[in-house]
Amino acid sequence: MGVGDAIARLAASHVHVLVVEVPHHWRLRTEVERHVLARNWVLATSPADADVMAVCGEPGKQLSEALAMVWHQLPGPRVRLDVRTDDDISSRLDQAHAALLDSGLHRQDARNRPAAADLLGGQDHDSMDHDSMDHDSMDHDGHGSMEMSPGGIPLAEGGEDRDGLEMDVLHLPLGPILAHWPAGLVLRCALQGDVIVEAKAEVLDQPGGHQPTKHQDAEPALVAARRCDNIATLLALAGWDDAAAQARIIRDEVLTLPPTAGGSSSVEGLAKLHRKVRRSRLLRWSLRGVGSFGSDQIEHQGLPAEAAGDTYDRLLRMFERAHRDLSGDQPGHPDPVLLSPSRLPTLVTGLDLATARLVIASLDLHELTSEHANHEMAHG
Amino acid sequence: MAETTAVTSVGPAWALAAAATLGALVILAAAFQGLLTARSQGATGGITRPFGEAARLMRQRRRTTVSADGLLWRIGSSGLLVAALLMVAVVPLGEWTIFDLDVGVMWFNAMDVLVWALIWLTGWGANSAHSLIGGYRFLAHGLGYELPLMFALVAPAIAASSLNVGDVAAAQEGLWFAVWMPVAFLAYCLGVVAFSVWGPFEPAIGSDLGGGVRAELSGVDRLVFELGRYALLAAGAAFAVPMFLGGGSGPLLAGWVWVLIKAAVLLGVFVWGRRRLPAFRPDKFLEVGWLVLLPAVLLQDLIVAVVSVWRT
Amino acid sequence: MIADIAFWAIGAVAVLAGAAVFYVDSMARATYALAVSFIAVGFQLLFLQQNYVGVVTVLMMVMEMAIMAVYMVMFMGMNPALMPMSMVHDNKKSLAVAIGTFAFLAAGVLLIDWPARRGAPPADVTSALGEALMGPKMLVMAVISPVMVATIVAGVVLAAHRTRYDRFGDDLKRRPAEDPQPGGIGR
Repeated sequence: MGVGDAIARLAASHVHVLVVEVPHHWRLRTEVERHVLARNWVLATSPADADVMAVCGEPGKQLSEALAMVWHQLPGPRVRLDVRTDDDISSRLDQAHAALLDSGLHRQDARNRPAAADLLGGQDHDSMDHDSMDHDSMDHDGHGSMEMSPGGIPLAEGGEDRDGLEMDVLHLPLGPILAHWPAGLVLRCALQGDVIVEAKAEVLDQPGGHQPTKHQDAEPALVAARRCDNIATLLALAGWDDAAAQARIIRDEVLTLPPTAGGSSSVEGLAKLHRKVRRSRLLRWSLRGVGSFGSDQIEHQGLPAEAAGDTYDRLLRMFERAHRDLSGDQPGHPDPVLLSPSRLPTLVTGLDLATARLVIASLDLHELTSEHANHEMAHG
Repeated sequence: MAETTAVTSVGPAWALAAAATLGALVILAAAFQGLLTARSQGATGGITRPFGEAARLMRQRRRTTVSADGLLWRIGSSGLLVAALLMVAVVPLGEWTIFDLDVGVMWFNAMDVLVWALIWLTGWGANSAHSLIGGYRFLAHGLGYELPLMFALVAPAIAASSLNVGDVAAAQEGLWFAVWMPVAFLAYCLGVVAFSVWGPFEPAIGSDLGGGVRAELSGVDRLVFELGRYALLAAGAAFAVPMFLGGGSGPLLAGWVWVLIKAAVLLGVFVWGRRRLPAFRPDKFLEVGWLVLLPAVLLQDLIVAVVSVWRT
Repeated sequence: MIADIAFWAIGAVAVLAGAAVFYVDSMARATYALAVSFIAVGFQLLFLQQNYVGVVTVLMMVMEMAIMAVYMVMFMGMNPALMPMSMVHDNKKSLAVAIGTFAFLAAGVLLIDWPARRGAPPADVTSALGEALMGPKMLVMAVISPVMVATIVAGVVLAAHRTRYDRFGDDLKRRPAEDPQPGGIGR
């Protein structure tokens, strides 16, 4: 049908891509992002917003389960893209584009999707207290035949919050598939309102005692690019889209242009962005006082020394270190930040979700390692 | 007041024309936004973004969540467009308006308060933690911006001695209100940007919450929600014209052309400002709204009242 | 004629929405059923030529319902909207009181004569009202508002759990103030 095809073509020229990063495949994710944005496509913020789910790297078992769950949440038309190498990203995206145009494929996909009851069926056995539960009555709008669990999901229990009021405690896992979030990190929070009262962090598919793959990221240019990426993440979380986009462009320049040719223009670009960020009083007001760590806290919790101060200080320090890495002032010691996920809960407890995410983004994480490897990083 | 006002009421049959005009402004704003986004990412094009997004969302399937409160959810997401259309019904396009209500300013205010209910309902109905937190972030912003907005709307009404929008536009012969009531104009613009969940007030739909209030919306619901947001922004910009920017006054061209031009320029400023400002955190903005903006706007109202009494 | 039909139809909506507040089993729906009832009353006022009162009713009531949603989460222990809960308690007693009050008021409305009008309304009702309020009663108006605000503020301060000694330390000299959630001005 002419109109249908025209609409499909128009729709497929503005695809929203949900980019999922598997741990240790950061470069692949940046390449995919770069190609997506160059085509004027959009990076999706949630599964409901996405047409294409692009998985960068080979996911482990736990991450595959999470991916399957998220895949069910994508409304049609949907395409799953597994990117393993960065050779043919452009052609893979073309394939996804073509697949999106194929309406017959999507109709078939829609017919074959499992019903909600099947998806929920696996979860209700351990949450039911009463044996006389009637499973057949579980439908979408949860008409109250459920005693304590409308729709099969148990209700939140109450608990006392920081002001002495009794508020419901909600258990919410953040990640692993979330925009501007460290790869593979799952932060299981207990929320009251949007304040995190308890948290537990883990990285998926990380066997205990795993040594981090020793750094292909040890070159200063790559570390600098990683820092630019973290700067872009923090600026995007602070709501400043223009500056985040500029940081992303600098990151791409550093990664794609050879160091001699690209060096000076990225250094200039970074300096310009740094000036812009420093001049913005609004950003300073927004980030001041968020997640302040004193020096005793740093020692006590085993954080790197660069994490002192509040989020704004850490942001400026990120710029300085990126500049130092790019211009090669201190050859030989790029000094990427490695942190164990067990450090994170103390940092975010008591903060609300927005500030917790700002704090995590401001730590300039290059990798989340296990506890064992953490002992090697004794910065003082 | 029994005297005739400066505008003629053309009745509800022309509502389609008003909706079409609003639609034109919405497309303009969305195209400009697409252009700016593309340029900041170093890509070309972007002008066709509104049409592409609309096509994509029409093709996308709707979805629901477990135990979603369907009625409230859909009312919330589709009500924004209705609120915007109702707002525009009192804005005079030159000398024509749909409803020449004698309390037009209050009507606009009532419609923008409807947005409070609608955004919270959208956040609530989805039965999702992220969207609920987004809804509450919007209410936190709302507590900060709404009172300054209300008092900012009082200033032109005092100066024109009338709550009728046509009278307020006519009372600006010679000097626009935006010139001698700058604080009120600024508070009004801040209010418009805030109730459209736009720019610095976007934490309610922020990417750190997976899209916040619209985290679980897709397909037609999402399209209507986004249209509603843009329509609110356009309606707010259009309402600023009779209130602060002199209505249809201007040399050479007809009144309605000037209204459209001024509305489009203000809308362009709003869209341009979005990407350049970081977000206001709701907990921090609350104190700013009550301790800085509100006293400033009240002082402005005092000055306007003194000037009005002195003038008569 | 059409206006009459519309008036009565909106009135019916108001009553039914009000009844729905007690009938639905979710706090969020109860809140917004109440909002719909108030909005309907506001529109009815428009038919009575009370434009300002009507629009302000709609405005205030919607904002109130939105604020009620904030309190709903703050103070409700159990999840207030998903768990089907009954919106009523003390059914028999409240039904008796409600029916009694309605009967009493209806009897008053039907049995008491409408008072005779003394004189005619002035040409400009609004300014006459304004002058009546602002003229001899100006002092009262000017004093009452600050007193009300001061009372509200004093009540909140007295009821607040944390005093200024908690915020600024025993010598009131600690800056910045110690708050669990600092505000944006840094006061």
